[in-house]
Amino acid sequence: MMWSWIPQNGSLIWTLTLANAKLGVLAAVFGLIISLPLGILAARWRWFSAPVLTVVTVAYAIPSLALFIALIPAFGLTDTTVIIALTVFSLCVILPNVIAGLQGVPAPVKQAATAMGYGPVRRLLTVELPLAVPVIIAGLRIAVVAGISLASIGQLIGVSSLGYLFIDGLQRSFPTEIWVGLVLIIVLALVCDLILVSIRWALTPWARS
Amino acid sequence: MITFEAVTKRYPDGTVAVDALDLEIPDGKTVVLVGPSGCGKTTSLRMINRLIEPTEGTILLDGTDIRSRPPAQLRRGIGYVIQQAGLFPHRTIEDNIATVPVLNGWPRKKARDRAAELLTQVGLDPELAKRYPHQLSGGQQQRIGVARALAADPPVLLMDEPFSAVDPVVRASLQDQLLSLQAELRKTIVMVTHDIEEAIKVGDIVALFRPHGKIAQVASPEELLAAPVDDYVAGFVGFDRGIRRLSFFSTGALQLSQAPVLPADATVASARATSEPWILVTEPQSGGPRGWVSAGQLAGLPADAPLGQAPTEAGGHSFTVGTDSLRAALDAAVLSPAGQAVGLDGDRRVLGVASFDQLRAAIQAAEVERVTEHDRALQEEPRP
Repeated sequence: MMWSWIPQNGSLIWTLTLANAKLGVLAAVFGLIISLPLGILAARWRWFSAPVLTVVTVAYAIPSLALFIALIPAFGLTDTTVIIALTVFSLCVILPNVIAGLQGVPAPVKQAATAMGYGPVRRLLTVELPLAVPVIIAGLRIAVVAGISLASIGQLIGVSSLGYLFIDGLQRSFPTEIWVGLVLIIVLALVCDLILVSIRWALTPWARS
Repeated sequence: MITFEAVTKRYPDGTVAVDALDLEIPDGKTVVLVGPSGCGKTTSLRMINRLIEPTEGTILLDGTDIRSRPPAQLRRGIGYVIQQAGLFPHRTIEDNIATVPVLNGWPRKKARDRAAELLTQVGLDPELAKRYPHQLSGGQQQRIGVARALAADPPVLLMDEPFSAVDPVVRASLQDQLLSLQAELRKTIVMVTHDIEEAIKVGDIVALFRPHGKIAQVASPEELLAAPVDDYVAGFVGFDRGIRRLSFFSTGALQLSQAPVLPADATVASARATSEPWILVTEPQSGGPRGWVSAGQLAGLPADAPLGQAPTEAGGHSFTVGTDSLRAALDAAVLSPAGQAVGLDGDRRVLGVASFDQLRAAIQAAEVERVTEHDRALQEEPRP
């Protein structure tokens, strides 16, 4: 380890970390935004959930690099390409959790809400979704951690991320750089996960004790 | 008043859940729909607040077709209690109770004050207001379910097997709670249960369903026990209906004898003078029952000894005259070593004892009175 390398390249490391975080977090956010309506429909109509789940499972099987390459003709060597690919992967873990979370709301609770005089939209927003939050956030945590780690592969098509440190370190046979990249990805994933756990804690006071 | 007019519910696969049901649910009464599973009782209940729509027929609420109002609006005026309480796990107890008031646009403060009031009314500590449902026992949750249904003070309350998920002891206390609430509030209650005992205990009127959505009999609980229309009803009501029916007969007119009752400070001689085979020994100060002593047990004691020296046998339980039913009195007699029921007043002082002969006389007198009342009611009914 060459410790002095770290402060000398502080601003590069910081820029790469932010770029990596942006790719992973944005992909998870887009994944959530797409998963919510799809999951709501799939939870409502059983016939819709099977095909949707099949599609996302198949999509998850696509190697990330292959997906990047497939998107290049349309979006070039840009952040967009990486974010779209990562969004597809995040969808694969978030969507099943949205469906499971909504289907996991106990039937008597839904029935009581309807019988009390909730309309379908109000019931969804104020009863079903709040109760699905723990399961949805569980999916989001996996998506964010996986997204941050996968974002580094984007470097292979020239999109800036902590992956730069791996490739550069390898080419220069400079292990310090690789170690820094690895540790930062793990720290970044842990920080994001901690933020999500805090969000869940704040949103679900009822699940605490 | 809720009126079912020729209401039928047929499912697309041809199953008939409810078959041309005609039923009237008068204001301020508790009507219990009871029957085996698949008899259509729950379907009938859920058609009242449009959770299920009938295939044919009309349901009127105070003379107006329930289909004339949007379902959500209709439902806010009808309290609903379900089996597993169905409380919202993510809301505090007070917010659960305040559900319908908040839907109706009450300010949160007012709705929470109302919730606190209801907590007390259903017999719970207002301290529970800030807890979450999972922190409460099943029985407490069910009480919250009732409080939530009552929050907006709806005139009608629907209860779908409300007490079937709790143990028998808790169930009995929930039923008692409901009876006392109903005595105070006089709601129009429709309850579904598969437990005929529950129907008889809480119902003013019992509607007994046959399988596949036909009504077998609609009657007061007492009439159902006394005069089941056919073998199906008799079978459903149970084999000991004769004895259970005594629950509806008061002990007010029961003849009691004082002869075998003596205080513990009376002498053995005075007990022998009664020539009763059993003496009920009472506490000299309070007048409460101490226990039974037989003539045989007194034989060895000196004539001037106080009765309190003799060993006594506990007398099963006793009944409160006027408050308890003849069923309780008969039970007390069966359990007593002397074959006599001990009657107490409201302060648990012994008023006297009743033998099987006296109980039989009281039962016969009550029967005669019932028949006369029934005849009078028939005569008073307006003729078309």
